[in-house]
Amino acid sequence: METLGDILVGGANWLWWLYEAVISLALAAFGVIDVVLNPVLSTVLRVLNPIGNVLGDVVYGVVSVLSPAWGLVIISAITGVVMLFMFKYTSNQQAIVAAKDTIKANLLALKLYKDELRVTFLSQWRLMLGIARLQWHMFKPVVIVLLPMLVGLSQMGIRYQWRALHAGEQAYVHVYMDEPLSHEVALEAGAGAEVEVGAMAGAGDYAWRIRATEPGVYTLKFLVDTETIDKELVVGDGLERVSVERAGAHWVTQLFHPVEALLPSRSAVSRIEIKYPDRESWIYGSDYWVLTFFVISMLVALVLAPVFKVKF
Amino acid sequence: MILKLIIHRVARKRTCHVMLMALVLTCAVSCSDSKSSSGPLGPRVVVVGFDGMDPRLCSRLMDEGKLPNLAKMRDAGGFKPLGTSIPPQSPVAWSNFITGADPGVHGIFDFVHRDPKRQCAPYYSAAETVEGDLGWEVDGFNIPLNFWPFDHQPTETLLRREGIPFWDYLDEAGIDVHIYDIPANYPPSKSKHGHMCCLSGMGTPDLLGSLGGESQFFGEGEKSRAVSGGFIEPITFTGEKAKIRLLGPEHTFLQLPERVKVDVDVYRDVKQKAARLEVQGKTILLKEGEWSDWCRLDYELSMPPFLPASHAKGICRFYLQQVSDTFRLYVTPISIDPSDPAGQVISEPEDFVTDISDALGLFYTTGFQEDHKALSNKIFDDHEYHQQADYVLEERLTLFDYAKQTYDDGLLFFYFSSTDLQAHMFWWDSDKKHPIRTPEMAKKYHGVIEALYQRMDGVVGRVLAEYGDSSTVLVMSDHGFASFRRQFNLNTWLRQEGYIFPADCKSIMRVSGTGSVDWSRTTAYGLGLNGLYLNLQGREKFGIVTQRKRAAMLQEIKEKLLKVRDPEDGHLVVKEVYLTEEVYHGPKTADAPDLIVGYYRDYRASWSTSLGDISDVMVSDNDEAWSADHCMAADEVPGVIFSNKPIVATGPRLIDLAPTILQALGVSPPAAMRGKNLFEMTHTALAADGE
Repeated sequence: METLGDILVGGANWLWWLYEAVISLALAAFGVIDVVLNPVLSTVLRVLNPIGNVLGDVVYGVVSVLSPAWGLVIISAITGVVMLFMFKYTSNQQAIVAAKDTIKANLLALKLYKDELRVTFLSQWRLMLGIARLQWHMFKPVVIVLLPMLVGLSQMGIRYQWRALHAGEQAYVHVYMDEPLSHEVALEAGAGAEVEVGAMAGAGDYAWRIRATEPGVYTLKFLVDTETIDKELVVGDGLERVSVERAGAHWVTQLFHPVEALLPSRSAVSRIEIKYPDRESWIYGSDYWVLTFFVISMLVALVLAPVFKVKF
Repeated sequence: MILKLIIHRVARKRTCHVMLMALVLTCAVSCSDSKSSSGPLGPRVVVVGFDGMDPRLCSRLMDEGKLPNLAKMRDAGGFKPLGTSIPPQSPVAWSNFITGADPGVHGIFDFVHRDPKRQCAPYYSAAETVEGDLGWEVDGFNIPLNFWPFDHQPTETLLRREGIPFWDYLDEAGIDVHIYDIPANYPPSKSKHGHMCCLSGMGTPDLLGSLGGESQFFGEGEKSRAVSGGFIEPITFTGEKAKIRLLGPEHTFLQLPERVKVDVDVYRDVKQKAARLEVQGKTILLKEGEWSDWCRLDYELSMPPFLPASHAKGICRFYLQQVSDTFRLYVTPISIDPSDPAGQVISEPEDFVTDISDALGLFYTTGFQEDHKALSNKIFDDHEYHQQADYVLEERLTLFDYAKQTYDDGLLFFYFSSTDLQAHMFWWDSDKKHPIRTPEMAKKYHGVIEALYQRMDGVVGRVLAEYGDSSTVLVMSDHGFASFRRQFNLNTWLRQEGYIFPADCKSIMRVSGTGSVDWSRTTAYGLGLNGLYLNLQGREKFGIVTQRKRAAMLQEIKEKLLKVRDPEDGHLVVKEVYLTEEVYHGPKTADAPDLIVGYYRDYRASWSTSLGDISDVMVSDNDEAWSADHCMAADEVPGVIFSNKPIVATGPRLIDLAPTILQALGVSPPAAMRGKNLFEMTHTALAADGE
């Protein structure tokens, strides 16, 4: 047992080192890619987000007559149909059919000529080529569909992932900056909330505890040295969109928090965050909405693909 | 033609698929928004247990018109004082209720029992932690491998209460049972037929494994020390920042076990009289005098590198007592996280507690929720304790609403601790001086109990409104209350009377050195709050009293005890001395104390008696904030029984409730239950029963 223990401990230490090395490499690679991608994607999202916001308001305005669960189901189903058609008209359907036929034919050949070594190897090679070809033909529509899909998901996220504060409910607001104690900060909460505690400096931020007072969309005004920065605050009981974070120009935060304008590039503040509560429901609540969306949209797409003669 | 048919079939099949999918979605979405409907309801019994509710106070308040709902039941013949257990201690009394039998059956005689094989080594009576195998020793850890071929036994906690709980008969009969916070049922007993769900109450430990709960207090200028019921630690600010560490459970997988900790960064702002706490990525801002919401704590239990770390999940609340002048921060005992108990079984079935938490959020799961020890240790003042106890009550009232919403039929039992743990600290109905309060303050805080009873009356009113017409409603308590003004050191008296030797003995737990006990000449000793044991030959490790002399010696001690007078005013101290073989019936009687000492109101065993210490003075003032009690003679502190049906029985007792509930739900009580149905028992039958 002692030797086994030593082997396990040694092996695990080595694996842990390997894991950390892989993670570091992956992060470094992502950093490099991010440097290249960010200027492009950030610019694209500056254009797409306002459009997404308007479309989101219209769509969710229409489905607001339904319960949130039904609204999500209908939007997911419609998205499934739209994606199906986008796939149909952006993909080479004939090439996909041909690639799938190649795969089927070679699978059959593998079964029929399993004693013929040459045929087996050749079929395996062709099978791999067929799969690669199929993937390639899938890639183009997926790339085209990806960005509008992400923008759509981000519009869903700001409605289903978090909920607005209820009147009377407490929340924490954080303003992140380097060396908080070297700055003068203040918060003017305005009509929708009152400040209960704060500003309290932490390691890299100032925090306030606010209490929402009455439903509506309000602006919190932060005075940071000589700079004034606004942050939207939403109080309500419905399916209001909430902007958790207002940050600088980075495509990831722009994607997740599309509502508010980016912080000025020279601002002392790196981001402002309101800790909205998670929405609670096993269909449309925090995190569950993504699952519901994918299950329903894919089911709809799978069921309707033969009806609309879409091949994938 | 054939092609058309195929197309038609395929199309129909697709239509079916689409319709089926739509149906499934409709059901799923509809179910998410609606409560399922149920069939016809079976019989219902709703029992509300108010720990320590006192019949004298109830009667007075009912007469004054302050408890209209309880008075309504009384006026309809549904109120009687309820005979409590011998002794009237909560674990004993609730075990009587649970089993419908006395301690001779369930084996719980006191909070504290002793192991005669180790002479008088004390242990907690209701549950026992059995240490597991050490496990596989590797890299500084002991890893239990509970699978073949190793089969290491893990450490586990066992319920020591014996006898069959009455709900087992309901479970067997297919009747649903919902039990919340019942004392003396930790770990919760298992449901064999899946009809019982239970949240365990008094006796459930905190995450640190303490039965009473251990709070943590951080104050500027304090010295690091452990006190009864918690830890006091210094906090030192550098600038306006400090770091504290919240103690967690002991990491028993380590070869050198130590407590795991969670770091908390504390920032203070003296000008705002506020503080900011950073706990595992969560921010909490508090003003002076504010309580935080529940905060989750994740204690990581490290493991060897080839195994993932284990986690113990707890919850706590912070109370920022003071910022200016000095900094004082109180942290509640760390409760087991009800949303993620991580292997700690505090409900039956295990997911019952997580279901509650899903609906209500976080709540106290420790057995003792009101932190009376913080008041005793002067961390809280009276107002702060009242405030904390009130939070507990609010939380329990929310839980009670949940319990009612999820209850259809069968048994619903709900327990409230507030009437007990607030009474222990605030009750005072004596004319004499209160240990720590002026007469005005004593009266003021006794008023808190009266207000609490009125609030509980409101709870009863809502229960009657909801269930009064369709169910049997029982409102009961396990015992009553009395002021605890004077404390009697039983062992001091035994030493004085020559039963404990030598005359300078300071503790029966001390076996060597100055003040140790001489078991070769000691014939009797006291342990627990009411127990008196003979040092019996063949039972105690160093026993000297023979069986032949036993009866005479017990009679002699009994007669002497009944004559003990308080040197202060000559008042008799002991009202009853019960010979356990006369008052207990069952196989566990052999393990019981030989005598149970029952005190007059105002008197109780001294604090030092319970663990065998011997003070110089036999009767002294109780100088603790814990200024009321019930561990006296059983007929000094009866409980209450109220019902929406007339109670026919004279002299109802706790053990009558189990058979009453069973019969109200259509189940015949087993022969082992000695109690009778409250709604049927006659005076003659009671007299024949001989109790």
